[in-house]
Amino acid sequence: MNQRRLLDAACVAALVALALMTWQLFDPRVWPVIIAMSLGQVLGTASFVAYGCVVIADYRAGMQARPR
Amino acid sequence: MTFPTAPLAIIALGFAALSAVILVSFLVLRPPLVRVTKIWLLLGFGVFPIAAAFAGNVQGFEATKEREFCGSCHVMGLHRDDSDNAASNSLAARHARNPMFGSENCYVCHADYGMFGTVITKAGGLRHVWLYLTEYRNVPVEAAKATIHLREPQKMNDNCMQCHSTRDSLWLAVPDHRAPLEAERAGSLSCASEGCHGFAHPFFRALPTQAGVL
Repeated sequence: MNQRRLLDAACVAALVALALMTWQLFDPRVWPVIIAMSLGQVLGTASFVAYGCVVIADYRAGMQARPR
Repeated sequence: MTFPTAPLAIIALGFAALSAVILVSFLVLRPPLVRVTKIWLLLGFGVFPIAAAFAGNVQGFEATKEREFCGSCHVMGLHRDDSDNAASNSLAARHARNPMFGSENCYVCHADYGMFGTVITKAGGLRHVWLYLTEYRNVPVEAAKATIHLREPQKMNDNCMQCHSTRDSLWLAVPDHRAPLEAERAGSLSCASEGCHGFAHPFFRALPTQAGVL
């Protein structure tokens, strides 16, 4: 998967995570709260990790391309 | 479903909205992945969502103290309805009408207190979720009455004694308080027993013939 597609997927995952995390604020019952604190957190963390991987990969590619 | 008015909820919504704007803009505008874009994405993927999650989680933990939350599992529906009922004289309902308990009356009476009380209470809540998923999800309320019980009933008096210390002279002047004092403090005689202040949730007592149905 190239960087752009990974970032697009991470964006979608982060938006879903944000939706799940805000759902509990409108409907503070058992399942919305539990899903926000489990699936919402996992998706949000995964998207941030994906972003970090893209940035690191981009930085390393930039370092390798730099003339010595 | 109502619009949240708590400050933490508003903060969480604000950060979530900022993050969503950045992420949607990235998806729609498709800017080149240059340094400025990465900094914006750091805000969209990291800073704002983490702030939203932090504020949202604290708000979520506060929500778990509310009666509405406890009563959202169907087997607790009768408990919630009784506490909501201004005409009910059950021990739980009377405490719910006290502002010190209010809409958090389930939590105030059933929480563990002490240094790790909150953590222990939350862990106990996860056990409730597990039991609900594995045992009670499809059990009618009438059938659930036969098996739902306090896990550590001897600890309940400790929670009563958070407010009713058992050391006040007016309290000790009541003969029925004074005579079994050690048993009350040890929890072997429940304040919420039939001969004392009555069951906290009398409507939830299983009929003798129901015992052992499940």
